[in-house]
Amino acid sequence: MNWRRVLKLTLPPLISFIVMTLLAEMLIRGLEVSSFLLPPPSSILKALVHPTHRGPLLAAMGTTALAAGTGFVLSGVIGISVAIALSSSRWIERAFYPFAIFFQTVPLIAIAPLLVIWTRTSLQAVIASAFIVSIFPVIASSLSGLLSVDPNLRDLFRLYRGSRKDTLLKLRLPSATPQILTGLRVAAGLSVVGAIVGEFFAGGGLGIFLQTALKEQRTDLIFAAVLLAAVLGLILFGLVNFAGYFLLRRWHASVQ
Amino acid sequence: MSHLRSMLTLCLLLTAAVTLTLTAGCSDTSEPARTADGKQAVTLALNWVPEPEFGGFYAALESGQYASQGLDVTIKPGGAGAPVIQQIATGKVPFGIVSADEIVIARSRGAKVVAIFTSYQTCPQGIMVHSDRNIESLEQLFKTPGTIAMEPGLPYGKFLTKKYPPASDVKIVPYTGGVAQFLNDKTYSQQGFIFSEPVTARRQGANPRFFLTAEAGYDPYTVVVATSEAFLEKHPQLVKSFVAATRKGWELYLADPSAANAVMGKLNTTMDAQSFKEAAESHTHLIENDHTRANGLGSMTLERWETLSLQLVELGVIDTAVPASECFRTLD
Repeated sequence: MNWRRVLKLTLPPLISFIVMTLLAEMLIRGLEVSSFLLPPPSSILKALVHPTHRGPLLAAMGTTALAAGTGFVLSGVIGISVAIALSSSRWIERAFYPFAIFFQTVPLIAIAPLLVIWTRTSLQAVIASAFIVSIFPVIASSLSGLLSVDPNLRDLFRLYRGSRKDTLLKLRLPSATPQILTGLRVAAGLSVVGAIVGEFFAGGGLGIFLQTALKEQRTDLIFAAVLLAAVLGLILFGLVNFAGYFLLRRWHASVQ
Repeated sequence: MSHLRSMLTLCLLLTAAVTLTLTAGCSDTSEPARTADGKQAVTLALNWVPEPEFGGFYAALESGQYASQGLDVTIKPGGAGAPVIQQIATGKVPFGIVSADEIVIARSRGAKVVAIFTSYQTCPQGIMVHSDRNIESLEQLFKTPGTIAMEPGLPYGKFLTKKYPPASDVKIVPYTGGVAQFLNDKTYSQQGFIFSEPVTARRQGANPRFFLTAEAGYDPYTVVVATSEAFLEKHPQLVKSFVAATRKGWELYLADPSAANAVMGKLNTTMDAQSFKEAAESHTHLIENDHTRANGLGSMTLERWETLSLQLVELGVIDTAVPASECFRTLD
């Protein structure tokens, strides 16, 4: 692990975060904004560490993390597989790709109640929500990557009579990795959003915590929960970047 | 160094932009606009779609009660999650419909909102249960295996689960609207308003029984008209006129709901005329009682607000009781 590199990556966002938090604190207090509307960062922090809320907040985050993480892994595995299938022939791509767009346009709020009815446990319903919302970017990016193989390299494999399996595993998938990772980055945040919306209907996690805070007009808790949701998305996002670093460091410009 | 300077400048710009956007447009207590015929234009924000619970307001509008008081009222329907109390607190709307417990909670969070009229003397909210289960009380419901759907975060839910701790085979799930799951599952019970969900369920062939939360002891004023203290201070006569016209509207609606129901039926096509009629018949005893016969529709008492405040403290929703006298005003 290159510690200089880690520092270079984490210090700038940390500095800007601290500076913006301090500025927000001064602005909100200075303008005397009602904390009913927009609480200053200090009261959000207080709500986060207060013994009454600390436990339930972290527990809620854990539940949402489990559902979002599972949904994310599922959309990654199934999304890439679907993209591979779609890329195998132009006809299959034309026949089925438009239906994948359904996953992007379906209004989750409308079908979430159906998901609750169709699944056996509330966790399953939340995982399904996270999955539905996050799978399309994976399919779209992976498909694009798999179809964008350098034609010269593809011809080279054909010259050497490479099997379809070899061409997929040794050329097309590695070549598509940067784009697959981009799709996974987008899916990371979306899976958290999907999980929380699913929780509005299925119960549990940060979704219900948010609804309760909303009804009890605890604006500071609302922001605290939103912050934790963002952290969750960031963690998943970071994991994708981490994987990307190891997969691409030897040859791709994006991680040099 | 120039990197750091540009970073800090961007930080300042971003923070300022976000903060100022979020806090812009607060507390507009300016004089309401005058219409061509000299009336004052005000908005009443509802917290749900047009239903018999708002009948009095539409009756006041249709029969010209607001107009005769010099008011041009626009009734703005709401829906799920409509943030009415926040809109009142920030001055976005002069009048809005909320529940009494929302007002107590808002005041304890520092928002200066007051109640000026209550439509329901008895809270019409409760739990709808299938009659076939032979459940005789809410206490029994929470001990009988099954599913109970309640909206998360509402104080009444906390009250009920505290008073009647659910047995281990009772599943509490979020209530998200409608009666679909109730119709499909005999062991499913759900939150509702007496004039809404049971009426819809009965129309679809079910045989529901309804338990009012008020019977268990939690009885906040409901469909309360609220305004901000700032608006009340600046326009006391306007608010008084609004209350007077609203009271007359509810009197008219209780006498004959058909005109207002017709108007609401056009705005809310999910309920047919028969449903509106049945709904309007189901709630009269919750709106009119001995207290209103003596003091007029919409009037409130100190004791009810005191009780509510103490209940909310007991439930842990607020830390300290809110003085009841600050929560409402009686405007005659």
